[in-house]
Amino acid sequence: MRHHTIPRIVTKLLIPVILLFGLYVQFHGDFSAGGGFQAGVIFAAGFILYNIIFGLDIGKSILSVNTSKSLMALGVILYLMVGFLGILLGGNFLEYNYLSNTPINGQLLGIFLVELGVGLTVSNVMVLVFYSFNDISEEK
Amino acid sequence: MSEISILAILVLSLALVISIFRFITANEIYTKILTVNLIGTKIVLLILLVGTVSIEKDFTDIAMVYALINFISTIVILKYYEDKEASK
Repeated sequence: MRHHTIPRIVTKLLIPVILLFGLYVQFHGDFSAGGGFQAGVIFAAGFILYNIIFGLDIGKSILSVNTSKSLMALGVILYLMVGFLGILLGGNFLEYNYLSNTPINGQLLGIFLVELGVGLTVSNVMVLVFYSFNDISEEK
Repeated sequence: MSEISILAILVLSLALVISIFRFITANEIYTKILTVNLIGTKIVLLILLVGTVSIEKDFTDIAMVYALINFISTIVILKYYEDKEASK
């Protein structure tokens, strides 16, 4: 898409807004619509739009397949670590009350970390699905 | 305020029906893509208007996500048809 000036300029202007909106959905998910899954999808949509407009070579130089796989696993590991931390600190699996000095602070911290793990995993899975579809169409 | 919003929702729904009719009768693929974009924009406005009538406060977020998906899907479909015509 080298000659398409208007989509390129609009995308350049829009991508920071999309990523900021994804972060808003992620961190404001406790109080309004949203959460880790939705934020991950919005974040991945912004990155996929960048890939479509500017080409996959530039996109893969920013977030390669291996980095994406590592971040995907890191999200799951973060989720499981928070879950087992609840057991280690004296509660049940994924019980957030014991994570901090008061139960309310523990709940806030636990939800924050778990949603961060979910968002990281979902956004990288979406990017990997996009890369995989592209590989299938290149093989044909 | 609420009556004006409900009237606007009705008018917008009528425009939506006309747009869907135009989508069905269109022959060229680019006209169809443009009509899909038009319907998406109307749905964004409809979500915002329903948000002014309803008590729920989250409709603005949903409308923003819908506008984003509408933009991305239009660009992807256009790129698909461009590649298809270039490979002919």
